[in-house]
Amino acid sequence: MKKIIIAENIVKFFGEGDEKLNVLDGVSVEINEGEFVAVMGPSGSGKTTLMFTLSGMDGIDSGKVIFDDRDLAAVGENELADLRRTKMGFVFQQPTMLKNLNILDNIILPSMRGNRKNAVEISQKAEELMKRTGIGELEEREITQVSGGQLQRAGICRALINNPEIIFGDEPTGALNSKSAQEIMDIFREINADGTTIMLVTHDAKVAAQTERVMFMRDGKIIREMRLAKFSGTDIDDRINRVTAKMQEIGI
Amino acid sequence: MYYRLIRNDMLKSKAITLITIIFVAAAAMLICLAAVLVVNLTGAIDTLMTQAKTPHFMQMHSGEIDTERLWSFTEHNSNVDQFQVLEFLNVDGARIVIDGKSLADSVQDNGFSTQSEKFDYLLDLDGNVINAADGEIYVPICYMKDGAAKIGDKVAICGKQFTVAGFLRDSQMNSLLASSKRFLISKNDYADIKGFGSTEYLIEFRLKDLSQLSAFENAYAATGLEANGPTITYPLFKTINAISDGLMIAVILLVSALVVAIAFICIRFTLLAKIEDDYRQIGVMKAIGLRTSDIKKIYLAKYIVTATVGCILGFALSFIFRGMLLENIRLYFGESGSSSLALLFGIIGVLLVFLAIIAFVSGVLRRFRKISAAEAIRFGTAQEKTAGAKHLRLSGNRLIDTNIFLGVRDVFARKRLYATMFAVLVIAAFIIIVPQNLYNTISSKSFITYMGIGNCDLRLDIQQTDNISQKAAEIAKTMESDKSVSKYVVLTTKTFNVKTEGGLEERIKIELGDHSVFPVKYYQGRAPAAKDDIALSAINADELGKNVGDDLTVVIDGKQKDLTVCGIYSDITNGGKTAKAVFNDNSADIMWCNICAELLDKSLVDSKVSQYADRFNFAKVSGIDEYISQTFGTTKDSVKKAADAAVAVALLITVLVTLLFMKMLVVKDRYSIAVIKAFGFTNQDIKAQYLARAVFILIVGIILGTLLANTLGETLAGIVISQLGVSSFNFAINPLATYLLCPLMMVFAVLIATIIGVSAVGQIKISQNIKE
Repeated sequence: MKKIIIAENIVKFFGEGDEKLNVLDGVSVEINEGEFVAVMGPSGSGKTTLMFTLSGMDGIDSGKVIFDDRDLAAVGENELADLRRTKMGFVFQQPTMLKNLNILDNIILPSMRGNRKNAVEISQKAEELMKRTGIGELEEREITQVSGGQLQRAGICRALINNPEIIFGDEPTGALNSKSAQEIMDIFREINADGTTIMLVTHDAKVAAQTERVMFMRDGKIIREMRLAKFSGTDIDDRINRVTAKMQEIGI
Repeated sequence: MYYRLIRNDMLKSKAITLITIIFVAAAAMLICLAAVLVVNLTGAIDTLMTQAKTPHFMQMHSGEIDTERLWSFTEHNSNVDQFQVLEFLNVDGARIVIDGKSLADSVQDNGFSTQSEKFDYLLDLDGNVINAADGEIYVPICYMKDGAAKIGDKVAICGKQFTVAGFLRDSQMNSLLASSKRFLISKNDYADIKGFGSTEYLIEFRLKDLSQLSAFENAYAATGLEANGPTITYPLFKTINAISDGLMIAVILLVSALVVAIAFICIRFTLLAKIEDDYRQIGVMKAIGLRTSDIKKIYLAKYIVTATVGCILGFALSFIFRGMLLENIRLYFGESGSSSLALLFGIIGVLLVFLAIIAFVSGVLRRFRKISAAEAIRFGTAQEKTAGAKHLRLSGNRLIDTNIFLGVRDVFARKRLYATMFAVLVIAAFIIIVPQNLYNTISSKSFITYMGIGNCDLRLDIQQTDNISQKAAEIAKTMESDKSVSKYVVLTTKTFNVKTEGGLEERIKIELGDHSVFPVKYYQGRAPAAKDDIALSAINADELGKNVGDDLTVVIDGKQKDLTVCGIYSDITNGGKTAKAVFNDNSADIMWCNICAELLDKSLVDSKVSQYADRFNFAKVSGIDEYISQTFGTTKDSVKKAADAAVAVALLITVLVTLLFMKMLVVKDRYSIAVIKAFGFTNQDIKAQYLARAVFILIVGIILGTLLANTLGETLAGIVISQLGVSSFNFAINPLATYLLCPLMMVFAVLIATIIGVSAVGQIKISQNIKE
């Protein structure tokens, strides 16, 4: 199976001098095409930074990140932007929407760069995605006029608008109540079932339990991995127990 | 703690701190200069008026005078301290020739006086009372300023020779706005030339108690004493003296108000961005129980430092420019003797700037009170209201590039934010265009017809010689046979007495000849055609109180003749007091004659000028361009200088404000920038969006600025132009300069400033800024 991301021994520091902090301390990761992965760990363990470095949004101090057969260190700023726009999708904990644009415009934004002639097709696609994620009626709404859960679904639509190969999620359910959170996870599972690779960073054992592979981080290192079978939606309690047991075992 | 906070903050925003300091320094300097100028001006005027013993009340009078009646009035009025009647010999400017050049084009009524005995002295440049010896002449200071005369020059008055022995300060008539100028000569010389002019009397009083001035005025008027002429009192002398430099001070104050406003804009930008930056921190400080006033102090401290540095710098700079601006005051009025007072007021001015800035910052910081601790901690930013632009949908846009669309859309969505920059650009466009248009207007060839000069190519002036009419005929004959001359006209100027409203007579100059050959612009009526037509210059029409259609009685060859006013025109020649008519007259003396000609081939002007100058050495021959530049070249030059300075200032303001605004905007928008970067927009895309915003605001600003310039600006320029004696006025616009060059310069300035201002976009890291 093709490996979409290969990271070898990546090291990253924050700050300088006495305040220098080693946030990633020799991390190596491989993510296969179509995989559904979670990264877990306490605050400050480096999981969000790992996501930023794997997606090329943040540089590294040493090591190597290969994305889609390309060494990100050798790719220029503009090409990195092109990669993010065409091959990656992002969903953040906060909705990260532009306040001046309405829901629909926020969703189509990544697709409109240099592509305005296809505005109609892009909008149709966005509307389909919105229907699929259950917010089909909200396209004309301003972002202040909808709930957090609805905004997060819009965020997923935006991540999907350019048919990315991988979606990165940074605590995508962190700001939602449990019902909304589960609905979002159901959408992610569907997207994954269609073949899109997904990497989620999370605190939540219930979120991690619905993926196929969980990486546990502490102090800038991946200290353990566990594999789970593909989640069918039935044995959630058992899977959660396995994840929490593993967390207790390694002490996070 | 304050020291570290301030240092870190300033290091982080070096450019912005520097720009703010520059504006504060400029404002402090200007206010300080204005204060120093006011103190020096009033001080110097007081000194001059005290030394010269300026009359408290002066009645100008022409015609018969009953001195005994005046003496008797004086004896019965207990308030009179001193009384005298001075003579002022009014001589036509054409008959006063300094160093070979006559004062015919002088806008002043030039005349002669002897030194008075009791008060109203004419002083030399050291403040001493002058005693003129026979053959000596003392010239008003304004002719030294404009270079018309220097010590040792020969002056001919109606043929009598004098030597310039020095210059005089006249506490009454120093100002260019006082329309008369007194030359000082000895009593013997005065007696010699008395026959060449008309005598006016200056009836002057000094009072024991100046506060009783209005009672005295009433008493004088009630007694029905001599009053054929203006009445001027001590306070009015003061005002007239102060007004020229006062205008300069007013301009400085206006400019400093503009600069203070810009300094405030800078401070508001920086401060609001900083508050936004620290929103969460401020919330936390509130939450842990710090008082609003404590939090304010932290932010105020930086501006106390900035304002202090700026004010000290401005105060220091004011010393450099002080001498330059005081030069004129020193020349016209002498030393003020109040330099320490000037320094004190300068310091007070600077302190006012400092306090205004601190008060302003304090006012902006009042919004701390509105920050809810809970909201600040939870959201980290102020919940910005966005309105408008709802109809501008990205999803509905297929025409405009996405980056440009997003940029322009943002301007609509956040109108209030962009309003300041928009206003600055409108003002900048206005400041650039109006003086340019004014300059184009007065330098365009057709403009001379606004000014009483016909649109010809060649002009020959014959004056101060005998047999003028024969000499003119001789030239006319030559022109008649000259094939390169397409048309010509001989215009003869004579003086005639006209009856004024009060039944008295006044002398006016009337230019006789065919006025249809090279017509001037008549803003009312038409050129004189019939024998009983007369056209008046605007100033004459105003002074005589005549309108088109009114009758004017002119004494021709001893007989009164009623002429009809057929037109009124603007004129800047001969002091603006002229008239035009076509009647024949062989009685009056010819003052001068001029012959205007048009050439078939305009390129021949220079050769024709020298040809005619060689042949007729008694005439002054000039090409019309040369004539215009002599007549009002200095005005044109100063307008050109002012226009260029305005362009430079406006462009500088444009660059600085745009730079500052864009830097602020990038800091303010760093979250949105991080978001669109995360979703695959490049740095160039984002910069393009900011450029689109700047250019969009600029275009709308230029359009509005141009519209305002051509409406409001034209009216304003009309007011300025009317000072030249031109009454009706429309801009002559050079489309290339106004509609292409000026906008291009602004576009260039804004583009450069924006590109530099948004260069920090590349340094905004997604990972650090994407979390709100």
